[in-house]
Amino acid sequence: MNAGEKTILVADDESHILSVVSLKLRNAGFRVVTAHDGQEAFDLALSERPDLLITDFHMPLLSGLELCQRLRQQNNHVPAIMLTARGYNLEPSDTMQNGIVCMISKPFSPRHLLETVQEVLERSAAA
Amino acid sequence: MQRSQTFYIFTLLLAGGGALLCALDAAGGLIEHAPWPMLRLVGALSLACGAIAGVATLESLRHACRNIIDRTRKSNTFTAIGEQLPKSFAFPWLSGAIREISDAADRAVAEAKLRAKELEIQLKVATAERQHAEAIIYSISDAVLVTDPFDELVLANESAAKTFEFDLVKAAHSPVDQVLHDPRMIDLIREMRQSHSRNGRRIVEHEVSSGAGGGRTFKITLSSVTDGDAPAGVVAVLHDVTREKEVSEMKNDFVSMVRHELRTPLASIRAYIEMLIDGEAQDGKTQREFYEVIQNESNRLGRLIDNILNISRIESGLVRVVKQPQSVAVILKEAIEVISPQATQKQIKLEENLPPVFYQTLADRDMLYQAVLNLLSNAVKYTPNGGTITVQSSVDESQKKILTRIIDTGVGIPPKDLPFVFDKFYRAQANNRVASGTGLGLSLVKHIIETVHHGRVLVESHVGKGSSFGFELDLCE
Repeated sequence: MNAGEKTILVADDESHILSVVSLKLRNAGFRVVTAHDGQEAFDLALSERPDLLITDFHMPLLSGLELCQRLRQQNNHVPAIMLTARGYNLEPSDTMQNGIVCMISKPFSPRHLLETVQEVLERSAAA
Repeated sequence: MQRSQTFYIFTLLLAGGGALLCALDAAGGLIEHAPWPMLRLVGALSLACGAIAGVATLESLRHACRNIIDRTRKSNTFTAIGEQLPKSFAFPWLSGAIREISDAADRAVAEAKLRAKELEIQLKVATAERQHAEAIIYSISDAVLVTDPFDELVLANESAAKTFEFDLVKAAHSPVDQVLHDPRMIDLIREMRQSHSRNGRRIVEHEVSSGAGGGRTFKITLSSVTDGDAPAGVVAVLHDVTREKEVSEMKNDFVSMVRHELRTPLASIRAYIEMLIDGEAQDGKTQREFYEVIQNESNRLGRLIDNILNISRIESGLVRVVKQPQSVAVILKEAIEVISPQATQKQIKLEENLPPVFYQTLADRDMLYQAVLNLLSNAVKYTPNGGTITVQSSVDESQKKILTRIIDTGVGIPPKDLPFVFDKFYRAQANNRVASGTGLGLSLVKHIIETVHHGRVLVESHVGKGSSFGFELDLCE
């Protein structure tokens, strides 16, 4: 799959996660934009119009869920992958409505994340 | 008296009476119809004798009865009476009968007295038992309520009066729904009474709200009491479990937090290792960065594990305290060195202002080191990039104290959280997102300084400006 044209927005308050994920995705050929909190992510999502959003659930200013909800309200239907602490489950209603297509629990494997990203992009390209 | 005896006496009386009548009739007939005046005289004389005998007999009987009446009035037993009766022909049967009656009466009275004595003893025992039970109930720290089959309060203790805010004296024998203002409690008592279960028991958890606001949670044990088959009432014992619940909740929170805290550095380590394996670190610089992250996160994980284990062991008293003269300055320097990499990572400046090394305090070296490290670690955590942390220690020779302060230019602690910062698991909500923590570090510091070393912990803070955490220990010669 030609990854070169795709932009991915990664939002997480933990810098390690941010650097690991961005490096992995960049090495795979994606263009990566990073945000350290929900508000920054929201602003970047509107300005950069990414093809995919990878966001942590627990973040300062705006949580991952709130971020997705707000984007939907702004008519931005970017698909989202949510990173959550293990054992934390969102209601199905929360996820589907807000474009959250997948949840990955931490600790996660960067390999698995890349595979998921590729899958999600393929599906949304096909849709 | 036996029936045959009664019949016998009756027959005798009848015969006697009949004989008397015949004699009188004969005497009368003689007086009327006798041929000679002498016979008439004899008849008159016998009539007179008969009359006198009759009067004498009646008089004797009257005297005897009078005696009986007097005796009865004077004595307590009837037996004496029977013995006073004159002994003559007609009277043995009568006196025997009276004696029998008086004996029976005596026995009845003796039995009645015995019974009365037994009842008196039983009453004393019952009263003593009741007083004993009351004393037990009053001394129980749990709240106790005892109701009767009519839902009236028959017994309660001080604790119950305090919990439900009623007056013990006024509440006695009042309906439970007038004494207690807690609908659920009233329902529970009613339900228990109506349950008709013989010696049934029910355990329920319930929060009783107090007039002052807030409330306490109780584990309530309700038992129905039966007297044979009839319900005799309900006993409710309320055990305050508020604190236990709080601690249990804190423990659960703690476990969740520990899980999260341990996972985070581990997650980083695994992710970076995987990246290295997959060759994602394409240049030497990136590789070096990755190795450093892995190293730092491992150290962090190690510290966290140490912290948790320490707290558990120290608090459970498993750790042996070995106190020896220690140089505070030396320990501080060591801790500063260990925390340096973390500080550097955040571009935080570390400054020291330490006393000469010969100032010593009697302390367990490992524990004191741990306390200092915890304080420094906190300072680094809650100070944003580019801040300053000052480690200052001074000696008061006159007071024989050494005071150490760790001053940061960090986020500060809100005044409402300040009294609680040293509590186990306590984390100021405002700072929850600034840094992660177990809420254990300061509690361990306090335990080490105050409980183990009899020192004092201090804290001062201003939101947005920074905090100053300190401890004071005794100098040793």
